Amino acid sequence: MLLAVENLEVRYGTVPAVRDVSFHVETGEIVCFLGANGAGKSTTMLAVAGVLRPARGDIQFDSRSIVGLTPEQVAALGIGLVPEGRRIFGRLTVRENLVVASGLRGGMAAQKQTLDVIFNLFPILRERYDGRAGNLSGGEQQQLAIARALLTKPRLLIMDEPSLGLAPKFVDLVYETFAALRDSGVTLLLVEQSMRRALSLADRIYFLQSGQVVLHGRAAELAGRSDLEHLYLGGAAAR
Amino acid sequence: MNGIQLMVDALSLGSQYALVALGIGLVFGIMRMINFAHGDLMMLGAYALVVPTTADVAPPLIGKWPAVAMIVAITALVACAGILTERFAFRPLRHRQADGATLLISSFAVSYLLQSVVLLVHTGRPKSVSIFAELTRQMEIGGVRVALVDVVTIAVTALLLLAMVVFLRRVRWGVEIRAASEDFTMARILGVRADAVIALAFAIAGGLAGILSLLYVAKTGVLDFRMGVPLAVAGFVGTVVGGMGSLIGAVLGGLFLGVASSLLQALLPEALRPGRDAFLYSLVIVVLLVRPQGLFAPRDTGERT
Amino acid sequence: MKVGLSPPTLPAAGLIPLLGLLCVVVHLIGNQLVEGALTEALVYMVMVVGLSVFVSNSGIISFGHVSFALIGAYASAWQTCCPGLRGVFMPGLPKIVLDTNVPVIPAALIAALLAAVVAAVAGVAIARLDAVAASIALLSLLFVVKTIYENWTSITAGQGSLAGLPLYVSLWTALAWAAVAIVVAQFYMISAHGLRLRATREDYAAARAAGILPWRERLIALVISAFLFAIGGILFGHYLGTLAVSIYWLDMTFLTLAMLVVGGMRSLTGAVVGTLAISTVRELLRALERGFDFGATTIQIPQGTQEVALALALLLVLIFRPQGIVGDYELGVSLPR
Repeated sequence: MLLAVENLEVRYGTVPAVRDVSFHVETGEIVCFLGANGAGKSTTMLAVAGVLRPARGDIQFDSRSIVGLTPEQVAALGIGLVPEGRRIFGRLTVRENLVVASGLRGGMAAQKQTLDVIFNLFPILRERYDGRAGNLSGGEQQQLAIARALLTKPRLLIMDEPSLGLAPKFVDLVYETFAALRDSGVTLLLVEQSMRRALSLADRIYFLQSGQVVLHGRAAELAGRSDLEHLYLGGAAAR
Repeated sequence: MNGIQLMVDALSLGSQYALVALGIGLVFGIMRMINFAHGDLMMLGAYALVVPTTADVAPPLIGKWPAVAMIVAITALVACAGILTERFAFRPLRHRQADGATLLISSFAVSYLLQSVVLLVHTGRPKSVSIFAELTRQMEIGGVRVALVDVVTIAVTALLLLAMVVFLRRVRWGVEIRAASEDFTMARILGVRADAVIALAFAIAGGLAGILSLLYVAKTGVLDFRMGVPLAVAGFVGTVVGGMGSLIGAVLGGLFLGVASSLLQALLPEALRPGRDAFLYSLVIVVLLVRPQGLFAPRDTGERT
Repeated sequence: MKVGLSPPTLPAAGLIPLLGLLCVVVHLIGNQLVEGALTEALVYMVMVVGLSVFVSNSGIISFGHVSFALIGAYASAWQTCCPGLRGVFMPGLPKIVLDTNVPVIPAALIAALLAAVVAAVAGVAIARLDAVAASIALLSLLFVVKTIYENWTSITAGQGSLAGLPLYVSLWTALAWAAVAIVVAQFYMISAHGLRLRATREDYAAARAAGILPWRERLIALVISAFLFAIGGILFGHYLGTLAVSIYWLDMTFLTLAMLVVGGMRSLTGAVVGTLAISTVRELLRALERGFDFGATTIQIPQGTQEVALALALLLVLIFRPQGIVGDYELGVSLPR
């Protein structure tokens, strides 16, 4: 198992956002977390990335507990997170955003290959290389965010709501990218609100509600269950 | 007073304040803490020029080294002092999740500590020291005589600012500092080491304080354990008025404050002059109320931490 | 008793009898130095208790309270100082002020009221700012007030000293005012306003959602706090007998803040305990700085060790025990229903 999370509990002050979450991700899989807003998906991911400290529970990466490590230590171990909202450095240029991310694995000079891959996947980034990142459209910013994450050479890439606020053509592009990433050996953990998208790509799916895992299974098995959308995703129409 | 003289005076003071504000702004950008101790780092640099002694007269120590060695030594020393204050005061607090209020008080405490130590070692009596004596000469610009040290201050500041721009844009560490200032957590998620980037910011701020101490002492020739306070106040006001969280804002704020201060001093009628400082300090409150991002900060479209 | 949002019915009520007892004991011992030290400590206590009314309940650090002490001290001097010579030192004062000698207690109240008015005016702006900005604004207020007082030499004797203030601050005067400060502080704490302000400290968003107006509560707390702090400043001036603008500047700011933080920033008991603790340490160090004979040798530490020790103490408390000596604890009593 690449990632194993057991009985995770994360609080904001005294309020528990994640109550008792257990899940795992095998190498080479694509696992998807589904749930309505406020279910605790993002909080779980932030805890895995070391940004939030869990009140209870264990997180194991490569059979080694990573609870209590700093975000930069977690990144060095090989977990990359593209958080909700993308969080690109809007005041920096596209180039500078990439430069920051390149530092973990030796700087831009050492990452020629990865940069080539990135520009092949997202040619817009080469076009807007010296432009202010804050001026990119939502979809372009998402590409930049993924590109940044790739430069940290993650073995596990966590994407939190990658399709949020994106035009459909960008979402398609982004999902194609995920497939390509999986083929090249990156394990993916996706957080989504769209069941259709999740089913199209994921191997296994976990449903989260009120901070707990309420259902999980292989995508193939869950594909026929149209009731799930209403039960766990607040009745959001299939997107 | 002649227009050129006035401008040189104003720019010289503005340069000093800009340097202080830059130092304060660098640390504030990443840690969201106003480092009151910054002015006292400059004071440490100044006192390092003389032999530590409680005697009335302090013989020069580093102050009598050859120019280049002195500049390098003082800059390095104050940079180290900056790193040490971070390492032993602020880092332990950061690692204990100290909130903004606690950090603020602690920077005040560090400032007080530095002043108290120097007071203990040197006593409260001002001491004099002479460095770069050649700079006290005057030179001619456009037929007007101005103090060489002022011109040098302006020139050095301009060079330092240029160097900073290059560093912050072209050197990876500099870009990391800017990224950390914009969204510290995201930078860490991308692998930027928090302790390292903060230590670097303190080192640079310290180095700037060191150079400023040389310029300041070259001009005034006086050491006093409280000498850092007016500069820290100016830097603080400049940073807030210019724009916290924006380095450009901080620098422009410091510049603006120094220039305004100088010009008001020269141009206000005698009776109103004492009100000058009060007016400038109260700008802080006005800015915080009306335009909290500062007068000169660029529109902030970046992500919030 | 742990205090959260609802303190015991009379928080810190236990403190006044204890302080009274302490004063009696010290007085009976009869040592002038110790009695003086305790008097000074009680004067600081008035200030620190005043400070805590604002800081403890709002959670906002104030670096600017000493400006209220400054305003109050000089306003009291204007009414009571150096009769006959007042016009020499401060010629700019209006004639009615120059000619009138107000008895010390009303003078103190009027002077503190002036400081409270200034706090109200500044507070209208400052109370609306977020916590960090408010702290910064309060610090700026200190600069503004200090600069004005330093430069308005016709009414403040500028950077010089003003001597001749009536010395009316005895141990018992200081104790009385400390008790008054504690009583005022505790009644504010248990009042609806105090409760509401602490709610904003605990959970700002929830408090606003509950209809609380943070700026109004902060303003009220600031004004009360300024009044008390000003009283402390007035007492300090009349304890020394001399005033100078430089007394009411960074040293006093640091000292009062350190006393509050070391004792416990979140409680009234903390303010009292912190003041006593720091004052004790200061006196010990002062004595060591003066040097005393121990058998054949004289033990003496260098002048200035006091301040270094104080700064280190504050830093260590901030790092290792940020809640201060007492944390959230209040030495109070619950009245039977």
